[in-house]
Amino acid sequence: MSPDIPVAIATDFLTAWGFWIGVGILAGIYGIFTLGLQLNVGYTGILNFGQAGFMAIGAYSAVILVVSVGLPFLLALPLSMLITMLVGLLVGLPTVRLRSDYLAIATIAFAEVIRIAVQNSDSLTGGNQGTISLELDNGRFFSDTWFDASTWISENIFEQIGLTDTDFVNLPLLLLIWVSLAVLAFGLSRLVRSPWGRVLRAVREDEDAARALGKNVFSYKLQSLAIAAGLGAIAGWFLVLNLQSVNQTQFEPIFTFFGYVILILGGLASFFGVLVGTVLLWIPLEGLRFMDLPLDGGQVAALRFVIVGLVLILLVAFRPQGALGKKEEMVLSE
Amino acid sequence: MNEPAAEPSRNGNAILEVEGVRKHFGGIHAVRGASFEVKRGSITALIGPNGAGKTTLFNIVTGFYRPDAGRIVYDGTSIFGKRPYSIARRGMVRTFQITKALAAMPVIDNMMLAAAEQPGEHLPTLILRPMAGRKREAAVREQAMRLLATFNLDSKADDYAGTLSGGQRKLLELARALMPEPRMVLLDEPMAGINPTLGRRLLEHMEELRERDGVTFLFVEHDMDVVMNHSDEVVVMGQGETILVGTPDEVRADQRVIDAYLGGGGSTETTEEGSADAR
Repeated sequence: MSPDIPVAIATDFLTAWGFWIGVGILAGIYGIFTLGLQLNVGYTGILNFGQAGFMAIGAYSAVILVVSVGLPFLLALPLSMLITMLVGLLVGLPTVRLRSDYLAIATIAFAEVIRIAVQNSDSLTGGNQGTISLELDNGRFFSDTWFDASTWISENIFEQIGLTDTDFVNLPLLLLIWVSLAVLAFGLSRLVRSPWGRVLRAVREDEDAARALGKNVFSYKLQSLAIAAGLGAIAGWFLVLNLQSVNQTQFEPIFTFFGYVILILGGLASFFGVLVGTVLLWIPLEGLRFMDLPLDGGQVAALRFVIVGLVLILLVAFRPQGALGKKEEMVLSE
Repeated sequence: MNEPAAEPSRNGNAILEVEGVRKHFGGIHAVRGASFEVKRGSITALIGPNGAGKTTLFNIVTGFYRPDAGRIVYDGTSIFGKRPYSIARRGMVRTFQITKALAAMPVIDNMMLAAAEQPGEHLPTLILRPMAGRKREAAVREQAMRLLATFNLDSKADDYAGTLSGGQRKLLELARALMPEPRMVLLDEPMAGINPTLGRRLLEHMEELRERDGVTFLFVEHDMDVVMNHSDEVVVMGQGETILVGTPDEVRADQRVIDAYLGGGGSTETTEEGSADAR
């Protein structure tokens, strides 16, 4: 770097494929995570601040079912999702009647209870050391089923088109996550355009009006929360597959807030907005790691968040409806 | 506590029977004994000065508030303490004093939402038998457009409800309340804040629906001309109690009603209940 230019960006980062695939995976995981928030916040008007807690339950229950209980991987996944949805119902039963801000407090408390419980129950989760061993008794690993599939995809598809570098080892996971994200976003978009989704939107607009028209508001809020919890569980599985470990620090409240940032960037009441929002968050957030500044590592790390925060402020000031949100709905909801 | 003003005869002629209903909020006795009947197919007005407990009574009858005591019978079955959605599904639909148009939803969605028996509103049916919901949806849309046309709102079908004027919202709320084909409609100050022409049209609709479909109306109203000229019976409330039930002519002549409106106190003791009617 020339000393005359204090701020400069190298260009070779653009071809750091392994890195960008990793960013894409993160964006996809938090995209799925945020689909649940979109259903709750954008369509039902419930401020769920406990999504990281649901993600934790999905991740840990999948791992525990395979490693400790010995269930097959492909059976453990749907079962862990079901468990998470049931927890969603249990959390919702006493809380969804609360006014929105109190619901937010209650759900964030729930998520922290889950995380701290995970942190302290060593025998079940591996506790604060972070990980329970993902290794099974027979020498196989938690996610071997996926690795076999992943290797097959690499050998039969990506290597055939010349992507043989070790940089591309995670390309199958990226593909799986984004296909899941797209399919889920499409399915949810269909769902909210149904009569069922119309009731959700009515609950968002005015609960009393919905009640007066014969709708069981409580039940719809619970359904919305349970589905969001299920989406959190799916995001949790992919997190484990990506990290090859499971650690309670991955479920801190900050990750729920990332989800809300994605919501705002992409726009409320649009599932495809979530896809845009998650890319808009993660590419700058991770890409700024390559900033070549006369600062030490910690300062650069902090600056990334300053810049992302600035982008968010500008967006809210100049395009409050986000990338794909509808401005009319936002203004009229007041 | 006072005894109910009149013992309701449990006859089949009444669609709604309210007897000895009481509700207090902390130390405020918002409703201290309401008893009246609404005759099937009638237009009944509920009047009384501010703070008399009219809106509270509405909220009790429609399940939004849980009463402390009393008997509420709708169409032969008790609805005491039932949830609002459950009461609405029995065919008793209400509107609100402050119009609750679902602003960020199109007018047509406001209407279609209100339809009864849409199987597509239930997740299992929606996924397992998607055609059931779609078939019903087509019928619901047709019914919604027909109703919107009667209220001259059909040209607004695709607009957001939030873009309608205050009067149009009142009409939309009434049209929406009619979507589930209710047998009884409760209107909380339907004429408030709308111009006389629209108000007249609203009254015409009410009378037409009563004639054609036998819909029963109970409405809270402050405009005495409307009450006296358009209702079959009038229920008068004062200080949380039903003072009198009678025809408009009987009510007009009654000293207790005049006292209640002029704050004379009459036979009931005066207590502070300023916020009882607010909601």
